Amino acid sequence: MAERIQAGERQLNLIVALMATEIGLTKQQILESVSGYRQRNEGRSDALEKMFERDKDDLRDLGVPIETIGDSADPNDLREARYRIPKAEYDLPADISFTPAEVAVLALAGSVWSEGSLSKDATTGLRKIRALGIEVDEPIIGFAPRMTVREPSFAPLRDAIEACRVVAFDYLKPGEETPRRRTVRPLALVDYEGRWHVAAHDVDADGHRMFLLSRIVGDVLPTRKGFDPELRVGAGERAMQSLREVAERNRALLEVTPGSEAALRLARRGTPAVQGIHVPFVDLHIFADELASYGPEVRVVEPPALREAVIERLRSALAVHTEAGGAA
Amino acid sequence: MSKMVTPDLVTLYLTLVPYLLERGEVSVVEAARDFDVSPAQMRSMVEKLTVIGMPGEDDYFQMPNEMFDINWDLLDEQDVIEITQSVGLERSPRLTAREAAALIGGLRLAASLPGVAGGEVLAGLLAKLSRGAASAPAEVVVVPEPVDAVRTLVSQALRDQVALSFTYRRPDSEPTTRTVDPVKVIVTEGQWYLQGWCHLRRAMRNFLLERVSDPRLTGIPIAHGHEPVPGLFEPGDDDEIAVVRFADELAPLVGDYLSGAETTTAGGITTARLRVSDARTLKRLAARRAGRVEVLEPAGARRAAADWAAEALALYGESS
Repeated sequence: MAERIQAGERQLNLIVALMATEIGLTKQQILESVSGYRQRNEGRSDALEKMFERDKDDLRDLGVPIETIGDSADPNDLREARYRIPKAEYDLPADISFTPAEVAVLALAGSVWSEGSLSKDATTGLRKIRALGIEVDEPIIGFAPRMTVREPSFAPLRDAIEACRVVAFDYLKPGEETPRRRTVRPLALVDYEGRWHVAAHDVDADGHRMFLLSRIVGDVLPTRKGFDPELRVGAGERAMQSLREVAERNRALLEVTPGSEAALRLARRGTPAVQGIHVPFVDLHIFADELASYGPEVRVVEPPALREAVIERLRSALAVHTEAGGAA
Repeated sequence: MSKMVTPDLVTLYLTLVPYLLERGEVSVVEAARDFDVSPAQMRSMVEKLTVIGMPGEDDYFQMPNEMFDINWDLLDEQDVIEITQSVGLERSPRLTAREAAALIGGLRLAASLPGVAGGEVLAGLLAKLSRGAASAPAEVVVVPEPVDAVRTLVSQALRDQVALSFTYRRPDSEPTTRTVDPVKVIVTEGQWYLQGWCHLRRAMRNFLLERVSDPRLTGIPIAHGHEPVPGLFEPGDDDEIAVVRFADELAPLVGDYLSGAETTTAGGITTARLRVSDARTLKRLAARRAGRVEVLEPAGARRAAADWAAEALALYGESS
């Protein structure tokens, strides 16, 4: 029956064994007794030891807390090390429970990701909570919030935040010809008006910065340097606060044609002024893109930089569309 | 369904065991549904559970009480799963940091919707998810958008299951008054859409909430909530064909227009045949992208793009 024990079953046997021991098992004991290893434990053990090392890494990647108890005299000597899984670190803490209403909210929260791996993470996380056996309220219907992640930098940045790892990437600011290398301590991922940003501490500039993920060019490169996890505490809240402050500082004064698409879409974000409306914005280039799309429905009064950026876009659009070649 | 990879399989077992123990007896079909596998897969997984157990000397001398066991009769005769003997894994494992981060991000978005979760529920859940994770999850936050009267009233109509009326203005067309049986609010990339049955068009329609004004509740109970709903960017019957051209790397900026488009690429330039309800509205996309998305056809739409930019420039004293 057990002559062909598959990797998954072997790893599960390993988990069961390591959870059942208080003092831990040595590698030797594991290879001799845990099903999946012991059937192959004859002759040379190098391959088997490698298999055990791989299994251990795989399980740690799944969040299984395998503890290594080394020789207290020489912590680097792992020949006699013992391995165990402390129940307190493995189990979802016993004092965490969820009300039926909370599970209904989490079910909605778990359904928002349209990207495959994030959606899978949310689903497996939710299942662990549901396995607690909580009654669930009626599902929340009527709302379908969706979160989209198109930027390939999202996952590596999330992993770097989790690991407190300094990363580098090339960043292309609008108006600049070539991207510039940035080295940052990534602290939080922030969705603002449907766009993803990473809140980070820029190592070279020695200050907090927000980077738009869509302007990151190429790969996010991990470095060998880590950083103090304390830096992450409250980073999301601070980032939201600083975005609000930036928006408050960058107030545009606009004149808008009543009843137009521009009027409808800007009104919710703006406040009426004596002549026109004030609309806060965070990123001049992104806001200029939007305002250009409204064409003659909006006129930028100030600030001048925004006005220039909009005029620039309109000139280019006009030039492209008055050239011959449309009938191509 | 395809064969599962090892890490997914292990994760699944770690959750399946506490799930089964908590419920006592569960039908194969129900468990399969809850774990998103086929009933045949679920059955095979449960059968294999019985080879998992404590360390031992060899297979023949392993004590029966040191292995997982199930009620075989119940499974064979009634397709119902019951674990009769467990040797660990009784409690749900902690969430991985990634699982917690994905749920926290989703929760932040869900909680920004009116009436879904109050501040206290949100704070409580955020704390539990962080504490229930194996290591500190990456913070994923969503800056809440201002919720205006339109969004509040639409949410109210959904909850009360009554139709609402409003003025709807599509760009470049006359405003219309609509009465709509609300079915769902879809929030995607910062935009809110109401999906519902439109009394005027006598069909399911999607409405961008920013184009809605003067909403009022009607008191008419909804009657058409169950008809098939079109996709958000699904082409309509009377769509026009338009042709646009842009550098390949700009494709993400053209975005939803490209769903259902035919594209050809040559020399780093993409040419796309799009289906749009009114090709003249492409002038807005062309201006937004400063002409880097160029409207080629129809000729009227290309002219409209030029006129649109020219009229706007005239506001700044530039004449063409």
